[in-house]
Amino acid sequence: MAEEENYSNPLTALFHVLFKGSAIAFYILCSFFINSFIIQFVVTVFLAALDFWVVKNVSGRILVGLRWWNEINDQGESVWRFESLDRESLERMNKKDSWLFWWTLYLTPVVWLALGIVAVIKFNFDYLLIVGMCLSLSAANIIGFTKCRRDAKKQIQSLASQVVTAHVASRLQSALNFV
Amino acid sequence: MTDSERIPLHFSSQSDIDEIEDLLHISVEPVRQAADAGKPPSPPRATIPVFSSPPPPPPPLRSVEASTSGASSSAGGLIGFGPAHTTLTEPVWATLKRDLLQVVSNLRIVVFPNPYRKDAGRALRDWDLWGPFFFIIFLAFILSYNASADRPKVFAVVFAVLSAGAIVLTLNVVLLGGSIIFLQSLSVLGYCLFPLAIGASVCMAKDDKIFRSIVVLATVTWSSWAVYPFVSTAVPPSRKALAVYPVLLLYVSMGFLVLANN
Repeated sequence: MAEEENYSNPLTALFHVLFKGSAIAFYILCSFFINSFIIQFVVTVFLAALDFWVVKNVSGRILVGLRWWNEINDQGESVWRFESLDRESLERMNKKDSWLFWWTLYLTPVVWLALGIVAVIKFNFDYLLIVGMCLSLSAANIIGFTKCRRDAKKQIQSLASQVVTAHVASRLQSALNFV
Repeated sequence: MTDSERIPLHFSSQSDIDEIEDLLHISVEPVRQAADAGKPPSPPRATIPVFSSPPPPPPPLRSVEASTSGASSSAGGLIGFGPAHTTLTEPVWATLKRDLLQVVSNLRIVVFPNPYRKDAGRALRDWDLWGPFFFIIFLAFILSYNASADRPKVFAVVFAVLSAGAIVLTLNVVLLGGSIIFLQSLSVLGYCLFPLAIGASVCMAKDDKIFRSIVVLATVTWSSWAVYPFVSTAVPPSRKALAVYPVLLLYVSMGFLVLANN
């Protein structure tokens, strides 16, 4: 496409970035205004948890068409399940949306890591708790979505090759039937 | 004969993908069986049109299980997990409602008497960590609210003790040779904090030592009763005490923290 695409889901993209950004902003700015660690902790971690939920359940679905979750199957084993739109829909996804999605997804833990290093340097070990929680939430989403994307690509490839094989085999079959 | 009727013998101008997916509908079963007469296309999922017209909303999708690699599962489309194939396109409120209901149902399963408690592994199959998250925050908040000195410290300590404690307890079970799923166990241990959270909020009401002792005793017993089946069935019987004791210790210490708050 030669023309410039606009975001096709601006509201979702906004929410995707909103909670991440406000968690980071609140963490950084809170100590200037409110002198309470508890409030800072609860609000930051709550925003990070909201962000986790939004990314996993809403923006992942809408912006890149991927979904992941964990289940326990009947044998009691933990199974990671991935869901993705089929290939046509995936290709029709807005490029800008997915660019925003993946970039902010990977950038957030980097920022939190930097903030964590700052907290260690300042010897504020309580704040490491906040950073640790936010890091683990971002990491969970990254791992889930990366696995999901890789799985979706693998599925598309295997689907294509399987169908091609079936096609070839059935052609052979029909050819042989004529003999 | 029937094969050649179904398979287009010429490649039209439609895209290759459309034709391949058309063939997919026809040849879902292995080729041998496809040669049998009159076999209709089997997959129950939303149909992908043969010609290149836009697919009907919602877009068709596949649900894949990561532990089994693709061929039969992706060809079959949906894998016996009823509502999952619609979760990709469901509205946001539906997701939210589903998650909230899941929290409530998990709470009911873990903490309240119900017939599923016998089979611990099955009971919390749809584990989630939202409930534990809220309970830990709530408990830490209540304990720090009443603390006379250095509230942030109390909050941080309680939060760290509870979350690290849950992780360590799970590791303990794993290292004792138990079969337990990490996140599921974290979820169970977190949900079992619910009675303690209730006890802490009730204790806020009155300052009477005897009253608080009774409440704490009752809630610690409740928590222990709730968590016992999950932990004890996860380890070999000879190691049951080794796995259960630290869990009970954690809850009893939380109980003391609640009791000591003034």
